[in-house]
Amino acid sequence: MFQMMLSGLTIGAIYGLLGMALSISFYVTRVINFAQGQMLMIAIIVAACLSEAGFNPWLGVALGPLAACVLGVASYFIGVRPILKADRFSFGWMVSTLGFGLVVENAIAYAVGPRSRGFPPLLNDIPIRLGDAVITGQQILALLVAAFAVAALEFVRKRTLFGKVGMATAADPEMAESIGANTMIVSAVTFALSGLIAGIAGVLIAPRTFANPYLGGTFNTFGFVAMMIGGGPENPANAMYGGLLLGVLAEGANSYINSQASDWFPFLILVLVLIVTPRGLFSTSNPLFRPRPARPA
Amino acid sequence: MSSANNILEVSSLAGGYGRFDVVRNITLRLREGEAVGLLGPNGAGKTTILRGIMGLLKQRVGTIRIGDTDVTMFPTHRIARGYAAIAPEGRRLFADQTVEDNLILGAWHRRREPQRVQALLDSVYALFPVLREYRHRQSSFLSGGEQQMVAIGRMLMADPLILLLDEPSIGLSPVAVDIVVKALIELRRRGASLLLVEQRVDVAARVCDRLYVISGGEIVEETTPEVVGREGAELINKYLG
Ligand SMILES: Nc1ncnc2c1ncn2[C@@H]1O[C@H](COP(=O)(O)OP(=O)(O)OP(=O)(O)O)[C@@H](O)[C@H]1O
Ligand SMILES: [Mg+2]
Repeated sequence: MFQMMLSGLTIGAIYGLLGMALSISFYVTRVINFAQGQMLMIAIIVAACLSEAGFNPWLGVALGPLAACVLGVASYFIGVRPILKADRFSFGWMVSTLGFGLVVENAIAYAVGPRSRGFPPLLNDIPIRLGDAVITGQQILALLVAAFAVAALEFVRKRTLFGKVGMATAADPEMAESIGANTMIVSAVTFALSGLIAGIAGVLIAPRTFANPYLGGTFNTFGFVAMMIGGGPENPANAMYGGLLLGVLAEGANSYINSQASDWFPFLILVLVLIVTPRGLFSTSNPLFRPRPARPA
Repeated sequence: MSSANNILEVSSLAGGYGRFDVVRNITLRLREGEAVGLLGPNGAGKTTILRGIMGLLKQRVGTIRIGDTDVTMFPTHRIARGYAAIAPEGRRLFADQTVEDNLILGAWHRRREPQRVQALLDSVYALFPVLREYRHRQSSFLSGGEQQMVAIGRMLMADPLILLLDEPSIGLSPVAVDIVVKALIELRRRGASLLLVEQRVDVAARVCDRLYVISGGEIVEETTPEVVGREGAELINKYLG
């Protein structure tokens, strides 16, 4: 039971990081980046290939998230900005970000081959006993990074001028421009940050998976569910709480129902959560969907 | 017309939102230290003119010069960096942020000059002492009059060449209107140049040196508060209906 909770929380921290990444860019631009999972993937692939080529695995751990960060900015300029610039109320980004993700996925598969590679264990082969349960160094690291990410984001959002201008851009992009903020840069920085977080999630989980170009989609779905359960669009920290809950539910489903249950059980919970607390994403009671004068391009 | 002391020159501005121009052939000027009013009925195009000056209209022709600079092609955020600032229609405060955060955001382009920002903040608080008292309050919890003060304060924080105000008196109690008008008069005393959109002729007359009357998207009359005072009723009936 305790072991199950621990594994749940650590995988949940990964879902939570991905949910936070989604919610940061959503928070400022009202766009859900369906290519977010591919940022996690590219960080894993970059790190795996570097280590395969004989570099110190920690170099890949540093450069992988950086690649994800660059991909985040690219997804903004290719998948988001052209759509919002043409029509700021368009939902075309649903298709363009999804398409961007698929193109990236296949480009990577073409470049490095579609096969799965191993990933260096990093701290995963350091077991730490907690009573009856065992947790690895890598899992502890994931939990610490998740806690740090929540605290750091709350700090940026509430206490820094950049966080305040991000909130202003979210609330009224036209007015944000009118006070001198370049909302394009604010948005691009936001996407860079969410790419970075997704990439960090990638190198945290990779020692427990393989490096495969097609693993982004699944993580994107779980990140999205984490954000929705937690009510993340209003506050990125909520996405982390949603992620932790989701992780425990998924692990619990695997141990108590059957080994495939984590594929459907969390979604059942999502539906129940949204029925009970209907401040779901596309609900009009969600304050984020108050009529807004404009949207940043 | 000597252009030397014109701080704002709008020439043949036309623009709008969809396929049709909402305003046409707008040519107006503002001298340094002058206050000019734009009067006109609902839907005349007053807000559209201010949006045009602020660079917020997607379709626009004509030229706009602020100070010595042709800002016609500038994006809004560049115009906002020292050329013009706006207290927009409907105030448009950053509702979930505090009064002081709203004000500090107004000085976003001066964020690397903290002493300057502090001095501007002090001068806004001197103009509207109530805002200092409420500085940590969420701006949406303020009364309409107080919110208008925040909107004006946020505009002043940019410390630009020209100030654009869009119906600052709307929906305010007589007392609040009086506070706003007195603040505008005080700004004029300090040498500010302002373009004031108003539907209330009395407010515009108390603040402005000159008035343009806008109707159907065009300037139909250029006049002064004195003339309006003399033949006010006639003029108002003619255009403001
Ligand atoms: N965002 C918009 N999209 C389309 N048309 C608009 C938009 N904003 C204003 N208009 C139209 O442009 C015209 C002029 O509007 P504008 O807001 O400039 O008038 P106004 O003089 O400021 O009126 P009011 O005194 O009511 O504020 C109106 O006919 C209005 O319907
Ligand atoms: Mg108006």
